[in-house]
Amino acid sequence: MSRFLSSMLAFLVFVTGAFGQTTEVTGKVTDQSGLPLAGVTVSVKGSTLSTFTNADGSFRLTVQDKFKFLVFSFVGFQELEQPISATMSVSLTRSDNILSEVVVVGYGTKLKKDVTTSVSKIGSKEFQNLPLPSFETALQGRASGVFINQGSGKLGQALNIRVRGLSSISANQQPFIVIDGVPVTSKALGSATEPDNPLATINPDDIESIEILKDAASAAIYGSRASNGVILITTKSGKVGKTKVSLGYFTGFSRPTKKQKFLNAAQYRELFTVAAEKSDFGVLDPADEFMAETGTDDWNGNNDVNWAEEAFQHGSVSQYSVSVTGGDPKTRFLVSGSFNDQKGILLGNRLDRANGRVNLDHSVNSRIKVGLNLSLVKSRNYRVPGDNAFSNPLQLNALPPLHPKYDPTTGKLNTATLYYNNLIDQVASTNLSTTFRSINSAFAEISILPELLFRSQIGVDFNNLQEETYNGRETLDGAPTGVGFNNQVTSSVVTATNTLNYKKKFKEDHDFDALAGIEYQVGKITGASVTGQAFPNDRFTKIASAAIISAGSSSETEYTFASYFLKANYKFKDKYLFGGSFRVDGSSRFAKDNRYGVFPAVSAGWILSEENFLKSSRVISFLKLRSSYGRTGNAEIGDFSSLSLYSASAYADIAGIVATQLGVPNLSWERTDQYDIGIDFGLFSNRLTGEVDYFNKTTKDLLLNVPLPNVNGFTSITKNIGSLENKGWEFVVNGNILTGKFTWRASVNISTYRNKVTKLVVPVPPGTRTLGRLKEGEPFGQFFGKWYAGVDPANGDALYYLADGKTTNSYSAGVDTIIGDPNPDYYGGINNKISYKGFDLDIQCQFVKGGDAYNMAGFFQSVNGDYFDNQTVDQLNYWKNPGDVTNIPQPRLYSGNGAGKSSRWVQDASYFRIKSINLGYNFPRKIATKLKLDNIRIYAAASNVATITKYKGYDPEVNSGFTGALNLGHDFYTPPQARTITFGINVGF
Amino acid sequence: MKHSYILIIFLVTAFAISCGKKLDLQPKQTIDAATIFSTEADVEAAIVGGYSLMGSGAIYGTSYLLNSDLLGSEDYCSWRGTFSSQRQIASKTMNRNNGEAALMWSTAYRAINAANTVLSVLNIVTDVDKKNQLEGEALFIRGILHFDLVRFFAKPWGSTVNNDHPGVVIKTTPTKTEEEAFLRIPRNTVAQVYTQVINDLIAAANKLPEDNGTRADKYTALAMLSRVYLQKGDYANARDAADAVINSDLYKMNASVSTVFDNKNTAESIWEIQQNEQNNAGTANNGMATFYASLPGIGRADVRMDLGFVDSYDNNDLRKILWYYVGTGARPGNTYCGKWKSFSQNIPIIRIAEMYLNRAECNIRLGTSVGATPEEDLEKIRNPLRTNLPVIVAPTLNDVLVERFFELAFEGARIHDIRRLKGSTGSFAWDSDRLVFPIPQIEVDATGGVIAQNPGY
Repeated sequence: MSRFLSSMLAFLVFVTGAFGQTTEVTGKVTDQSGLPLAGVTVSVKGSTLSTFTNADGSFRLTVQDKFKFLVFSFVGFQELEQPISATMSVSLTRSDNILSEVVVVGYGTKLKKDVTTSVSKIGSKEFQNLPLPSFETALQGRASGVFINQGSGKLGQALNIRVRGLSSISANQQPFIVIDGVPVTSKALGSATEPDNPLATINPDDIESIEILKDAASAAIYGSRASNGVILITTKSGKVGKTKVSLGYFTGFSRPTKKQKFLNAAQYRELFTVAAEKSDFGVLDPADEFMAETGTDDWNGNNDVNWAEEAFQHGSVSQYSVSVTGGDPKTRFLVSGSFNDQKGILLGNRLDRANGRVNLDHSVNSRIKVGLNLSLVKSRNYRVPGDNAFSNPLQLNALPPLHPKYDPTTGKLNTATLYYNNLIDQVASTNLSTTFRSINSAFAEISILPELLFRSQIGVDFNNLQEETYNGRETLDGAPTGVGFNNQVTSSVVTATNTLNYKKKFKEDHDFDALAGIEYQVGKITGASVTGQAFPNDRFTKIASAAIISAGSSSETEYTFASYFLKANYKFKDKYLFGGSFRVDGSSRFAKDNRYGVFPAVSAGWILSEENFLKSSRVISFLKLRSSYGRTGNAEIGDFSSLSLYSASAYADIAGIVATQLGVPNLSWERTDQYDIGIDFGLFSNRLTGEVDYFNKTTKDLLLNVPLPNVNGFTSITKNIGSLENKGWEFVVNGNILTGKFTWRASVNISTYRNKVTKLVVPVPPGTRTLGRLKEGEPFGQFFGKWYAGVDPANGDALYYLADGKTTNSYSAGVDTIIGDPNPDYYGGINNKISYKGFDLDIQCQFVKGGDAYNMAGFFQSVNGDYFDNQTVDQLNYWKNPGDVTNIPQPRLYSGNGAGKSSRWVQDASYFRIKSINLGYNFPRKIATKLKLDNIRIYAAASNVATITKYKGYDPEVNSGFTGALNLGHDFYTPPQARTITFGINVGF
Repeated sequence: MKHSYILIIFLVTAFAISCGKKLDLQPKQTIDAATIFSTEADVEAAIVGGYSLMGSGAIYGTSYLLNSDLLGSEDYCSWRGTFSSQRQIASKTMNRNNGEAALMWSTAYRAINAANTVLSVLNIVTDVDKKNQLEGEALFIRGILHFDLVRFFAKPWGSTVNNDHPGVVIKTTPTKTEEEAFLRIPRNTVAQVYTQVINDLIAAANKLPEDNGTRADKYTALAMLSRVYLQKGDYANARDAADAVINSDLYKMNASVSTVFDNKNTAESIWEIQQNEQNNAGTANNGMATFYASLPGIGRADVRMDLGFVDSYDNNDLRKILWYYVGTGARPGNTYCGKWKSFSQNIPIIRIAEMYLNRAECNIRLGTSVGATPEEDLEKIRNPLRTNLPVIVAPTLNDVLVERFFELAFEGARIHDIRRLKGSTGSFAWDSDRLVFPIPQIEVDATGGVIAQNPGY
């Protein structure tokens, strides 16, 4: 390490100062038609000195003579660099050119045309005014190479984000998230079985852009955190000019995208009468059996309750927001606040969020700039129970329609039901998670030399989660005297970063920039929880009122990272691009014998369109070939996985200790090597632009549990042993199809990934109820089990395939085989933006082709009346008479005819979804001015408008939160997403 | 200005150097095994850890008791729950991936490792009495767990003439390194396992104090020894060990049959798994009350009594009245066992009643009356006060066995008694392959087959 430090010091030391004469520069900036442009940033290249143009487009600057160029930049225009003269007249060209965009990359920004790695960018315009449940959902269908499965329609719930496939088996698979240079916590902090989503606290309206670093060369600068890709979020900042106030409001309602149909009372009686009669246990009386199982005589009653419907409520959403931005050449600011309130479609589900933000930067003098980003959030999430809980409202659909909702004698909610009537939870339980979060950073930039910029930043992500539940005495989980639980978790991540950036153009043809940095990070999570039982009555819900404190705990865990990094870019003749980076990460998580990881990357690009043979092409306006290689790591391996550990284990009132982990003295990060080759192109004066990428990602040293002979006292040991690979293509095409008065821009992206597990210790078979498995040579989470062959027309027996392709009615004799794959063949999105006069229309569609889903609840709800759970209506098409051809076996109560876990409930979950439609109208300036406003926009937006799918369950985009990472695409009473329609208004003055 | 650059250089350098030093962190709620044992108290904590493992649901907290009764469920009880592992046990359709078998196997060996670890660090303990006590407890834990493992995972004693059929792995060394954790050790024979168990328990009885609070003492070891001898048909030794326990005068039958289950550490109990509100085998997916009870808010009513069995008690028998009830919680209206009604109750593992029954049975079999006559012993169990039944005059062997099944019902004795009496449950004979648990397949795989699977799996 010391050599590294000394080279960095050398880098710092060639600091010299020489200051000479100054020149006063004045000028005017206009657009191509000669109209003055106000608020254009005029900066002196190589210093932090800058100013902004006035309302008449004029500016004035005092510049030292050693500086040679001024840079003019303005949103929506191409950046322009001009040699300094005393009076300057500058005309900026409007830019619709995606290639001249600036993208944020690790520890800096870059012109998109100079980027030699693979980075996706989503600007705020793409998702503003949409009622997003959380900001990551904006990436769905918009960013190529990013596969998102929202899992369910539960608010505040973690969702799956996978950048270029799956890069881990047992460690984290989610990308690393950095907000304004501050790494933030995205892992669930709560104690619920289904993970919460700490990112739901981030206000999408605060975001200026989201960049996804997909290939290793762009991500490797984040070293051991970057194997799952990196998401960089840049928040909005203040702009020079008159102070602008924007107000926004929207409100709307939501409904489930789809509901499932279950049997009504008459259908239920029909099916179960047959089932009882045909039971393997003899001819049974359905009323007697119903009595035996439920303890009620409801079979003979006359109730007909649609329990499945009871799980839902009318959802709604509303948001109030205000932002104030402005500034002068010395100080820019943004102050914003918003309140968002979402009521979910699932009974009892609610999420609200109050945000405040201040972004401030100040130029102390021509050399020093300081800044501050401050954000504060309070969020309250009324959560719903995990899918697997009897108290999950969707599990109400299992209740027979014969049970009354209310007990006729007491008038209270009926408790005499086959399973728990969890409507009782609605009146007697609360489950509230309150989050206070503050993500802040402060920085100083010092321009040591015109070419040399020192930046120091300290960032803090502070997150406090309080989970509070109370289950009343009538509820399943609170009986008989009430149970209260309170859990406080505090997470903090503090990151200090110092970088030195050197940028210089040598002799016109050589552009060079380099960055060296040191980063230190400490993360800490502390928790304390307490459970109380026996409350005087359900109006006492705080643990102060509990007679028995039945559980309590506190915990703490911590990690540190010390990192050293270098990166450099070199551009020759504006057409040959080279980049490289190198990072060394040391972490407390890595075993002592193996503490530092090295993560290098290289990349190169060739802008062919700058070559003479293409320069004059009328078709090709831009063409770049690029390729990269890099190594990244995954350090989410647990804070103390390398140690042999003892934990406390209580024996009634006495405390003992037990060995809980056998350590491995050289345990390390997981390692990913990735190659990427890509083309960026622009055709017909860049009216048609696009990107094509191919990647090949190999991950090694995956942490796996190696099974041990149990007789030695441990069941497994965690070692760096597995490997997997991901390969795939990404295609993006953007077109300005129509320009002029009527504009139409469209964008299409399609991505693929092929995942293959290449090395395991032992295959991981599916669980008792699940299908996902791991096997060498097969994709992660492949479905494996019995292959359902339908029904024997002769006798109504369920059939399964044998290895030889013949069928059998013996479940156990059936062959275990591959019966599905939850990974998609391809996925992507289609986006259209149309505008005419004041109207604008955005239509975004999103699709997934080829992923399978397994309805794990089929065993209960679509099993031809094997038990008294209410059944889906398709079960009425059961086998009735010899010769009947159907897929539903003969109902036989308790007999398990077709009830075994099998491909019977595996379905193609491909879907095409109109994800959002947003229609807006900007009032003409005249009207706005009359109202003393700058602008007025009204709009209507809808999300999850329509879904085309063959999936028979609630929602094909499903991923039950409790089945674990391996069991992708499992549906278990998982609620669908919401279709939300909102109406809103934005005004600015 | 130059001074400020020098200051920056200085600060950045200091920062860089200090970062590298902050990478050594120690966990806060776990302790590095390298430093765990330094005082006598640490060794004692490790032995308590052994008890906590024994109290877990996978050992005496539930599985080793419940699954014995489920294996002998015919005309006795039925499994109504949704858990397939227990259902397979009750229906004798276990497969090699049975979850209960896997947990029972691994947790018992985990506790044995805890005991072996204690035995390996006894040199830290300087007080001789304390050292003897801890050594005795470790041997006790190791002994009874090997015994229960061999009872579930091997064909019973007597299946082969010399009992040289496969038993379980005898483990007497601790695992402290990765290399030791990968050792592949084959199964010993049943005879070898019994010998090891008896040696451990005799050594434990010699080391343990006469009284050790709620933890194992000399008489706990002797009582277990009586159980072990009886299981292998060594009636003289079984009788003598029971006699020694009874003669200690430390234990006596409670007046009411429900007292031992409704209260903690009563006179009748020799050794109980200690539980309280915070620490018990579980309120959700494990625990005796969880599976047996059907009370408002308590229990899943998964184990339903067979009415034929319940009705075979005399109608006046207080054991019938106090130990069985009609459920009012989950799956109401059926009959359930009232021994297990609270999550936090202690779990009696061995009671003095069993010692009287052992001594009576052995005396009848051997034609002796060591300690007392069989009639006197059986009277302790069945008498007008305790059970509201007349004393049996001159009981036969069958009388003693019938009372034994009544008395020890649903306490984990069922299948082991059926086996040693060479009886049957339903159509399954005492030495049926289907009554033997599978060796967890993951264990067979992890040892590359060195640990061989049981026949029939």
